[in-house]
Amino acid sequence: MLLQYATPLTFIALGAIFAYSFYAVLIAGQLSLGQAGFAALGAFSGASLAPSGDDVGEVPALLIAIAIGMAVGALAAVVLGLPTMHLRGVFLAIATLGFAEAVRIVLLNQSWTGGAQGLAVPRVLTVGMAWTALAVVAYWFWRMARSRYGRALEAIREDELAARAMGIDVGRHRLTAFVTAGAVAGLYGVLFAYYVRLIAPGDFDFVAAVEGLVTAVVGGSTMFLGPLLGSGFQTMIPEIQRAVGIEAGWIRPFLASFLLLVVILFLPGGLASLLPRRRIRMPASPGRPAVGDPGTRPTDRRHPDPGETVAALTGLGKEYGGVHAVRDVDLELRSGEVVGLIGPNGAGKTTLVNMISGLVPPSSGSATVLGTTVGRTPVHKMAAAGVSRTFQHSKLFNRLSALDNVLVGAHLVSRPTFLRRLLWLPSARRDEQAALERAAGCLERVGLAELAGTRASALSYGDQRRLEIARALASDPSLLILDEPAAGMNHVEASGLSTLITSLAEDGLTILFIEHNVGMVLQTCTRVVVLNFGQVIASGSPQEIAADPVVIEAYLGTSDDEADPGSIAEGTAADPTAGSAGGTSAGAATNVHPSAAGTLPPPDTTPRNAT
Amino acid sequence: MRAKLSTVAAATAAAFVLASCSSGDGDGGGGGQAASGDLAGEGTGESCTIEGEVPIGAVLSLTGAAASYGESQQRGLELAAAQLAEQGGVTYDLTIEDDQTDPRQGITLFDQFVTDGVSLIIGPTLSNAAVQSDPIAQEAGVPVLGISNTAAGITDIGDYVFRNSLTEQAVIPQTIAKATEEFGLQNVVVMYSNDDAFTESGYEAFAAALEAEGVEVSETLTFSKSDTDFRALLTQAQASDPDALVVSGLIEAAIPLVTQARELGIDVPIIGGNGFNNPRLMADAGEAAEGVVVGAAWNSSSDNPENTAFLADFEAEYGAQPDQFAAQAYAGLMLVDEAVRSGCAADPESLKEALGDIEDVPTVLGEFSIDENRDAVHPAVVQVVQDGAFTVLE
Repeated sequence: MLLQYATPLTFIALGAIFAYSFYAVLIAGQLSLGQAGFAALGAFSGASLAPSGDDVGEVPALLIAIAIGMAVGALAAVVLGLPTMHLRGVFLAIATLGFAEAVRIVLLNQSWTGGAQGLAVPRVLTVGMAWTALAVVAYWFWRMARSRYGRALEAIREDELAARAMGIDVGRHRLTAFVTAGAVAGLYGVLFAYYVRLIAPGDFDFVAAVEGLVTAVVGGSTMFLGPLLGSGFQTMIPEIQRAVGIEAGWIRPFLASFLLLVVILFLPGGLASLLPRRRIRMPASPGRPAVGDPGTRPTDRRHPDPGETVAALTGLGKEYGGVHAVRDVDLELRSGEVVGLIGPNGAGKTTLVNMISGLVPPSSGSATVLGTTVGRTPVHKMAAAGVSRTFQHSKLFNRLSALDNVLVGAHLVSRPTFLRRLLWLPSARRDEQAALERAAGCLERVGLAELAGTRASALSYGDQRRLEIARALASDPSLLILDEPAAGMNHVEASGLSTLITSLAEDGLTILFIEHNVGMVLQTCTRVVVLNFGQVIASGSPQEIAADPVVIEAYLGTSDDEADPGSIAEGTAADPTAGSAGGTSAGAATNVHPSAAGTLPPPDTTPRNAT
Repeated sequence: MRAKLSTVAAATAAAFVLASCSSGDGDGGGGGQAASGDLAGEGTGESCTIEGEVPIGAVLSLTGAAASYGESQQRGLELAAAQLAEQGGVTYDLTIEDDQTDPRQGITLFDQFVTDGVSLIIGPTLSNAAVQSDPIAQEAGVPVLGISNTAAGITDIGDYVFRNSLTEQAVIPQTIAKATEEFGLQNVVVMYSNDDAFTESGYEAFAAALEAEGVEVSETLTFSKSDTDFRALLTQAQASDPDALVVSGLIEAAIPLVTQARELGIDVPIIGGNGFNNPRLMADAGEAAEGVVVGAAWNSSSDNPENTAFLADFEAEYGAQPDQFAAQAYAGLMLVDEAVRSGCAADPESLKEALGDIEDVPTVLGEFSIDENRDAVHPAVVQVVQDGAFTVLE
């Protein structure tokens, strides 16, 4: 019974494996079409280098060919990935497409591949073998989904900059995803070759690449069963049409394309969005110790002792094409301090914290944060040193649940679990549970426990800000930087936030925060630094600052003289980090989510409360 | 939105269920018929009568890259089927399926036809597809008749694989020998598209034939089957002042290539392979096609009675001139009929035996025989375009 469907079933498995090679990078937000090239290289090298089935037996020959094909595919992915991994979106797609075309042309002109007439390969693959291979590949991605590695890839897809700030080495993760894609594509190439008997370079052309991509997207590129569903759909359409008796000709491809359109229109998440998804739940343990208690802190992380220098800035400056966003800032942060950074719009506050957190290299001066020199250190290394931050405009992983967002935040303090998850080692489960406990604790701490399963994008604005804080907390930082955490909160929420910050400081955390709600700053901070036109104009205890005539004149104003409208307007225009960061700051600008620039709310519009 | 989603889900599920049911039914019914009982008839030749319908499958590339050939073949087959139906005695249940020029579809279709229990499979259109799918029929003991496979080695797949299409290796040496004799060729430029199996094997045949004839190849230029601008290559070819251009390309390349060559003032003969043997060459290239020499398996201007009738019937049915693909397809089904009637049996095994015994059958391709390697034997022809029509080069 099953045997008469062996051929379509085999092609479903093969198509799904190829689609998985696209899924492998789509899950990390990379659009690549190079998989056709990897598959071609894998297929031709596997088929021509593997020993003949007569010498070693058919199945061993196939296994050797698979090993060769996957190795060649992975190797090609490294070679292509190293120079192209900094490309994003359509640029990566074009570059990888170019690679696939180059591979096809080279193979076409080699004598060992048989050129356009192809290379004959014995048929070894059976439907059982194809589905076994598919099961292994699907298992790989299934176990990856809930691992630390899988979450990191999803985080990169959702917001690369935020992922970096959470300590994820984006370059390495993207390359790993790409190499996985190369190996899976190589596997597909070899299996395809050992089933269809003859491979020609034309079998791995642009059309094949697009078909693989379409299969992955139609199936759903965020759920591990997606490629399988997509392949089933794509393979069955012609079968159904034949069975229904639609006469062969142009109607069939038309209907197939039309169905594709319908699926994409009505199921933007792919066929996999029809499947119920199991969400991870908050671990139910009423007696959970609060985050911050020594017992819950990951032990291998050393925090500076109270009073020890956390950050030392000397003559730090940042210039954007002649505009001095920050100049000559000398500042020292000591462990246990809560430092408020205030100043009018465009005073350079965000630029300053961007430098401290490693997002923007300074143009002059030097800074040492938690023993790391700012400027040459990538963002994720700064995060690893113990700097964690939130962003002026929320940079959450929008399609992930609140709990998942915080789990990504715990990246640095949890251990890699993917490989151990593949083997079902209990230690992986323990580590995942520990990360989950920690994330849940962070959510509880900011008061979002009951919204753990909600998608980040569905949260209210205030909740999003609190979620960002929870995510930043999850990495157990030594220095927490909050960029306008109270923006968009009402005064009840703001005072709750104030209490939270105070309690965090009591746990020994050093906090630097930018805020326009001056009342809150004066109430919460141990020290306040006032910035205007990129320079520190005052620094001292909240009482000193509130009484400082320079500050009152420059910033706080009086009841009938609110902030000087002229300086605000000027400041807004000159603020280089808000609105359009411009192409000058390579580190920050290229990492911003492409669509973000157009949708940013006007910067610094929070009403200022001078009292 | 919720409602819409579930509708789509339900529709998809329904479609899948429907598919599995109906294909299940079809397969079941077809499989039962495969027994040879009602496929054996009485009488011989003209008088042969077979009660059951003889199931014949055809796998053609009706869409995709090779669609233009598949379409011609479909017309040839359908014309032949219609004429055989009129003749009576034996009825054919011809199912033409589209492999979309995709190896996966080709393999699936062969598999399906074998499961359905057809007596014979015609096709597939492309040689590469034949290498991939013919083994399925071979293993299942169902004879295959290729009607356009010209690559070497197709019939080596097994003793159930036949073809009525002359290989490039059979036609091209004759073309080169004839052209060398006619034009006194000493030095030529060879051009071919190297990303197509058909034209590349054609090139190999040309190269071997030119060497055998002692004609010097001053330059070999390659292009892609999707190219349409050949001016740079042609200028390069012109530089070596050849006695002729030898081109192995598909008709899509042939038309612009010939037109542009004449525009550039290259008026030496252009010798083409099988791909050039298409009435579109004269229709689209017009004047420029004059003097193009084409070696072909089918002599379109042949005046044997089968061919004359075929030309007239085809023109009447479709309002267009047939090309070689149509002629070979037409001849293919006629040969199958011949094989069925010779033993008055249409089960796969008898058909295989009868096809192997075909000898000197008059067809549109001329007197036709199958040799011991199950390859076609019939006269090839070297044609030259004269006054807008193919005429035999003499």
